[in-house]
Amino acid sequence: MAHPGGCLCGQIRFTIDAEPQGARMCWCRDCQRIASGSPTVNVLFDEESVHYTGEMTKLTLIADSGNTVERGFCPTCGAQMYSRTVSPAGMPMRVRAGTLDDPALMAPQYHIWTDSAPSWAALDPALPRYHKGPGSALVEE
Amino acid sequence: MAYTGACACGAVTAKIAAAAAIAVRQCWCRQCQQLAGGTHSTNAMFKTDDVTINGALAAHSYTAASGNTLTQSFCAACGTPVMAQVSARPQFRTMRVGFITPPHDLIPQMVIWTDEAPQWAVFPEDLERHAKQPPPPPVTPPAPKAS
Repeated sequence: MAHPGGCLCGQIRFTIDAEPQGARMCWCRDCQRIASGSPTVNVLFDEESVHYTGEMTKLTLIADSGNTVERGFCPTCGAQMYSRTVSPAGMPMRVRAGTLDDPALMAPQYHIWTDSAPSWAALDPALPRYHKGPGSALVEE
Repeated sequence: MAYTGACACGAVTAKIAAAAAIAVRQCWCRQCQQLAGGTHSTNAMFKTDDVTINGALAAHSYTAASGNTLTQSFCAACGTPVMAQVSARPQFRTMRVGFITPPHDLIPQMVIWTDEAPQWAVFPEDLERHAKQPPPPPVTPPAPKAS
């Protein structure tokens, strides 16, 4: 089953012809900027399965992880669409959950970069928390 | 305290000459989820006159559920959400908290539009909740703390 989505103004649309590989919330400082102060919620897909139409502005920078990451957003409405790791290669693409027509497609399974979350962050106690990126040390209660 | 802000690429900066925010809220409306990467936006409201912004903003307007025109602005170069403004309340700017440079004291007091949140959403237990739009903010901002 294909999963459709788009930006706020409708200029960008997409379809994803694969099932998600996972979903997580990211509290890195870059994501807080992108997400207006909250974490981003990212649904993971194989990059080859995500097909965008419309004009996309792309920004490439070095993330807190040290990886080179490309982020895409709509130049018309500013909606944040995705991030993908340019280097190293082989990581799943992160589609921002809010851009999916069904934002509840997959519930977040864990939190990453909680070391940089604000003090008021409401983290679901049922979900694992990683101090930094995926695969870093887990936060012990 | 006064506040400063900067986008991810540094092209847009701001100074906010206010001792405190008028209100700090998390908004789960569907439009905010689309803009904010999938979660709620986190917003701090200030008087328009207190906010000075430098750099090139892009803006997009739409008609909100309230019937008001909502204009949300972002950095044209990196897409960082910067602020929103509502046609009915030009005296206020709603600044995106992610744009404000920490450390700061902007802590959410209220969660709004919870009706539109996905079922996996977690709301802080101690915050006031509104299923849709909350009542308008007070006209007068809180008095600055004595120094």
